[in-house]
Amino acid sequence: MTSDITSPPIETRPAHLGKRRVPTRPRTTSGTSRNPLRRLAGGLGTALLCLGTLLFVLPFLFTVVTSLRTAADVARSPLGIPHSLTLKNFSDAFSQIHYGRSTLNTLLITSLSCVVITVIGSLAAYPLARITQHWSTAVYRLFILGTSVPVFVVVAPLYLLMRDLNLLDNYAGVVLIYTALNLPVAVFFYTSFIRGIPADLEEAAALDGCGAFRTFFTIILPLLRPVTSTLLTFVSLQIWNDLLVPLVFLQDPDKRTVMVNAYSFIDPHTVQPTTLFPAALLGVLPLLVIFVFFQRQVVAGMSAGAVKS
Amino acid sequence: MFHRRRATMAAFLLPAIVVYGVFMLYPLARGVYLSMTDSLGGPIADFVGTRQYRAMADDPAVTDALWHTVLYAAVVVVVQNGLGLLFASMLFRRPRVRKVLNVVLLTPTLISPVMAAFIWSYLFAPTGGINALLDLVGLHGLNHVWLGDTSTALYSVAAVNIWMFTGYSCAIFLAGYMNMPTELLEAAALDGASGWRRFRSIEWPLLAPALTVNVTLSLIGSLKVFEFPLVLTNGGPAGATDTLTLLVYRNVFGGGKFAYGVALSVVLLVTVVVLSSATSSLLRLRERRI
Repeated sequence: MTSDITSPPIETRPAHLGKRRVPTRPRTTSGTSRNPLRRLAGGLGTALLCLGTLLFVLPFLFTVVTSLRTAADVARSPLGIPHSLTLKNFSDAFSQIHYGRSTLNTLLITSLSCVVITVIGSLAAYPLARITQHWSTAVYRLFILGTSVPVFVVVAPLYLLMRDLNLLDNYAGVVLIYTALNLPVAVFFYTSFIRGIPADLEEAAALDGCGAFRTFFTIILPLLRPVTSTLLTFVSLQIWNDLLVPLVFLQDPDKRTVMVNAYSFIDPHTVQPTTLFPAALLGVLPLLVIFVFFQRQVVAGMSAGAVKS
Repeated sequence: MFHRRRATMAAFLLPAIVVYGVFMLYPLARGVYLSMTDSLGGPIADFVGTRQYRAMADDPAVTDALWHTVLYAAVVVVVQNGLGLLFASMLFRRPRVRKVLNVVLLTPTLISPVMAAFIWSYLFAPTGGINALLDLVGLHGLNHVWLGDTSTALYSVAAVNIWMFTGYSCAIFLAGYMNMPTELLEAAALDGASGWRRFRSIEWPLLAPALTVNVTLSLIGSLKVFEFPLVLTNGGPAGATDTLTLLVYRNVFGGGKFAYGVALSVVLLVTVVVLSSATSSLLRLRERRI
């Protein structure tokens, strides 16, 4: 599932280890042999593995079940078997965090940022991959530097800048911030991908009098589809789930995102789990739905996203 | 003809350079400058040199936060990657359950840190899920106010971080496993190497690049952690979970000490850059030696 990653963050095969050649033979499964004791151990391992994985999803299941119970029922026994199920918690949370409005806001910000990031990121990566000169290497390095800069370092000066530019409480401001923050990873993805495309076709096009623009749009752009879907998965997860940028830069209640609304509505120390959990679930629901449909791409995207912080 | 073509190509860089320059590089440079002023966030500010940095040396909150940040990162890096590697190596040996369990392990990664923190704030509560679970299996003695005790709070917050990203580490290790040359694994099987021996002398060296990526990523991620301590403890109890990011946030937006907060963010940047580049170059060196 993860082997079809397009921009590999991981190179394996150290030279000296790959050299030893052995005639290939039909192999018995490498780990387990036919020894019954071994097989038992293998089965036990699988069982433990499933149990371990279950521990990781347990908080989720618990959240879903608790969201569907009444407050009184949960108070009686936090882990008990639910006596009755209700959807009321969800409808309450829905209105309290202004779910419809804030989801639209989040969707707008996420999709606009994704469009801008992919367009200007792929445009920039083309010359960076094809022109090999000192200045282009320097520009490339400058972009890559951005992958290790935490948002926190720029948040204060960015706030001043946005205030001066009149971009506080403005979607454009937030989109520009997300673009700047994610350009490093986009440039990295696209540049390494384009470097892997043979230049023959472009040279032929150039000889036929095809300019840089047409070459990019007719030859390069269509080839970028797989790396774009990987990049989009990674970037949209980051933006959708982000709290800090909208918290600082969007103070108008009508413009707030799901995460900010949920964060400002919920005080985890006083609020009941029956109000807290549905809000938390609603916040991630769109992502979970997308995940179910695009599982394969998401998993590939997240492993390939390994290059970013 | 080719010359003009190259000029047009170079022009493709313009939009990216403008956005990146204005909204990333310029704020970065301005931040470094602001950290050397007495700015309150307004237009009036005087240059004060290293005063903010000297003030940090006398501020126990800063040294504590720096220590918490580094300790937190160390715990997360070790445990998260250890667990991720354990899961990956077990999954690799079991192709039948591999795909499904890999996806299941990745689900926590999808949710936002804020939401994860909300869920766990209840699980950690005195009458919440963890204690109830301990009661259920008869371990009353282990009941604990997880987030309210200075000796466990930081580790509890780290546990949420680990819960969320172990699947991610596992996926990267698994990608490393899938890249292994099959001939080599077959040769090892023919030579009768199995279990620990096979892991130690074949898989572990081959996983070196995946380890580098994983350690570097989790290190950077945990050094700049913000949402988990913010939602779970907001730095408490008694500052036991105060991290550098929380101090930056509080000083910059809490009023009064703007320039001090910005100076703290520069310290955070230096910490992240120094620790992550040192770690990744050490690990790269190790990759070449193996």
